[in-house]
Amino acid sequence: MKCKRWLSMCLAMTMSLSLLAGCGGGDAAADSTPQAPDSALDAETPKTGGKLVVYSALNEDNTIDLAERFKKDTGIEIEYISLGGGDAVARVQAEMANPKADILVGGSVDLYGSLAEQGALEAYDSANNNDLDARFNDPDHMWQGWYMGVLSIIVNDERFEKELASKGLKKPETWDDLLDPAYKDVFVWSNPVTAGGAYIATACQLFRLGEDKGWDYLKALDKNVHHYYKGAGDVISPVATGEFIASIAWAHDSFKVKQQGYPLNIIIPKQTAYEVGGAAVVKGGPNTENAKTFIDWLLTKDVQDFHTQISYRYSVRGDVASPEGLPTLDEVDLVDYDRAKATEMKTAVLEKFEAEITSARA
Amino acid sequence: MAAGVSVKESVKEMKRLKNEPLLLIVIAAIVIFVGYFVIYPVIRVITVPEWQDYAQLVQKARWATAIKNSLFMTVISTVSCTAVAFLFAYVNARLDVPCKGLFRFVTLLPIVSPPFIVALSYILLFGVQGIITKGVLGMQVDIYGRFGLWIVQTVTFFPYAYSVIYGVIRSISTNLEYAAYNMGATRWQVFRDVFFPLCRPGIAGGALIAAINVLTDFGNPMMIGGDLALLPTEAYMQISGWYDMKTASVLAVALLVPALMIFLVNRFWVGRRSYVTITGKEISLNPFSLPKWVKWTLFGLTMFISLFILLVYGTLLYGAFTKAWGYDWSMTLKNLQYVFHKGGQIWNSIKFAFLSSLGASFLAMILAYIVQKKQIGINKLLDFLAILPGAIPGIFLGIGFVMAFNEKPVELTGTAAIMVLALLFWNIPTCYSAATAGLQQIGNSVEDAALNLGANSFRSFKDIILPLLKAPFLSGFVLSFLRSVTCLSVVIFLYAPRTTVGTISIMVLVQNGQWGEAAAFTIVLITIAFAVLRAAQYILGKQGIKLEL
Repeated sequence: MKCKRWLSMCLAMTMSLSLLAGCGGGDAAADSTPQAPDSALDAETPKTGGKLVVYSALNEDNTIDLAERFKKDTGIEIEYISLGGGDAVARVQAEMANPKADILVGGSVDLYGSLAEQGALEAYDSANNNDLDARFNDPDHMWQGWYMGVLSIIVNDERFEKELASKGLKKPETWDDLLDPAYKDVFVWSNPVTAGGAYIATACQLFRLGEDKGWDYLKALDKNVHHYYKGAGDVISPVATGEFIASIAWAHDSFKVKQQGYPLNIIIPKQTAYEVGGAAVVKGGPNTENAKTFIDWLLTKDVQDFHTQISYRYSVRGDVASPEGLPTLDEVDLVDYDRAKATEMKTAVLEKFEAEITSARA
Repeated sequence: MAAGVSVKESVKEMKRLKNEPLLLIVIAAIVIFVGYFVIYPVIRVITVPEWQDYAQLVQKARWATAIKNSLFMTVISTVSCTAVAFLFAYVNARLDVPCKGLFRFVTLLPIVSPPFIVALSYILLFGVQGIITKGVLGMQVDIYGRFGLWIVQTVTFFPYAYSVIYGVIRSISTNLEYAAYNMGATRWQVFRDVFFPLCRPGIAGGALIAAINVLTDFGNPMMIGGDLALLPTEAYMQISGWYDMKTASVLAVALLVPALMIFLVNRFWVGRRSYVTITGKEISLNPFSLPKWVKWTLFGLTMFISLFILLVYGTLLYGAFTKAWGYDWSMTLKNLQYVFHKGGQIWNSIKFAFLSSLGASFLAMILAYIVQKKQIGINKLLDFLAILPGAIPGIFLGIGFVMAFNEKPVELTGTAAIMVLALLFWNIPTCYSAATAGLQQIGNSVEDAALNLGANSFRSFKDIILPLLKAPFLSGFVLSFLRSVTCLSVVIFLYAPRTTVGTISIMVLVQNGQWGEAAAFTIVLITIAFAVLRAAQYILGKQGIKLEL
């Protein structure tokens, strides 16, 4: 009797294994999510619904909201995965021989350069980008800028009042205020090697102060840093919960966490830097036409309005208002950020940062 | 000389296989299967970098430091994991104390909880502003670094060692100990010279699993490692920051080397000694009782660690129902709402975990049986194949799968099959260790008797070994299941829109600062895992099989 049970389990296993190995694709199609039929068919029938596979570096709730609206507007069903910008790039690269994604959405356009160089992206010049500022359009049309974010200093108000205000310290207003020794070990930051946002903040200092003084600044700031987190957004919650008092982060992401009720103060300093958030069509993806439709759609005024409201990011369109609760773009004093130069010097800067700053801590 | 003899013997043994075609086919199938899904992806990863890329390992100071740090953490965390695991196993198996249910429960919690998320509880309780450290004890401690990581890794990974050690201790007959007592040995002598040596395969197997888990741990260093450079996080930085697969592969290989060394040391330490205690007849007396002060000291220690773990998970549970994690403690159910939108992902988690664990435990059991009981000359190779996936960091098994199975003839990326297969091979060492530890306790005499009576290999395996292996098989299966439900590293590069699993969502939520929702999601996942475990125990219990982990 007992042997029979074992044998039948053994059989069941063999069967399920061979099923899986034999028709993996079929198994995926039978999956729980009720989705559109098989991808190969849809690719040949664009613009009449179908689907779109998105690798999204946006917050997941923003991705969901955009997907719902896209479905409503175009009938195209979005299947997405949410992941960090760097991880998304690594994934597209790993899948280059046989791309699974149609489009990469979100994350600073700095990310897209290496993919474009390797030939993983397909050029697309949307008809809707003609009125945009030149900095939002890639000269080679490999990526499309579609939102903007600015860097801010974030402070936990409660702890600041309790511990630092009593020492006579004023709320930080400029980048240089962060060098005050009072911030030692209550200031955290992200590692520019892994966090795109932290690299932009690093380059911001180099542009703002010039090469030599910029490095002096970074090394002085390092004295206050308790430790470096891996991701750009990793610093926000520790400051929000009061584990640490101050950091540097994207204003829009911080503002979003603040909405949960945390005593988070978001200060946009003078001479701050900004990111251009991108989208890019993956070359050889299963639904390339739908990916292009998506980019056209993203740049429309309605969608830009909608996205600004849900994500607190700035629009690339001049006719869309700034997110509520944050200063308008006119009020923000931007550093003269040379994106081409920032990309060109990135490797050297990060290697120097690692050698002279973070390695001593490893 | 010795080598020559053993080669000759191996050849002779392999020739004998001709008489057992079934065994030969099974072995060939396993070698091909494991080779294709483990060795081939690994080779793909290893051959990505060039020779000069590997030279960076010694040239770059940061990575030399990372190697040192990784080895250091592995040593101290493995020692503490194994010690705590032995304590729990001993108390649960041998002592007559209350609260054993609680002790067993807390050894399961860390296994069923996804990486990343529990670190949030640690920070809240023991961080710079920790409720316990600063609020209750008034201490100024810094958990970001070696010390904090050591504590967290100990609690996170001792359960893996526990399940192996417990399985072995439970199967050790007390008869030998009584014999020793009767001949005048002291309690300490009995422990040291009789009991402990019998535990060795379990301790070695447990330590191996713990060590490899610690070495390849990625979630804890990310959250509370601070600036400490470790191999897995450095490798991740190469991918996430530099999109540099080449260099990441170099670091992956750097991680493989110590993992393989752990494996070899383990084999050496267990040695060739025999640890047979299940012979033909199985009669065991109640364990000899310990002096009261020893018993209650051990109990106190176990209780302290258990309460510590309960506190950490209690915080997570509470946090799941609060408005703003760590700040606004008023209750809300809104975090759970999010989870209800993610039913498909939770179902995926369960489905993939079930299929992969089932496959892994069968494959591992057959492997363990052949390695332990059949002298066929390629035992070492099979043993190596079975344990190798455990030496491969999950994230690189994932990358290896993407590289190896993204093109025809075997195009699997984006399918459910690739998720199941990756998890299956990742789980083999867990099941293999359990099966091996169990097998080492079974003497050859029973099987020899069957063979003498005319049974072939298959028959004796099915009728003799399988029934005796039921407990290790099931514990391996359930352990793998729980591990898979909560696995992130393996699937992080493999999931597609339709095959997204719960742990991925949790990671994304943590990254987006939605900690309350992440906690709620974790609680749901843990609850499901426990429900499945209890259901399995109930169903098996009805059939007279007691499933203990």
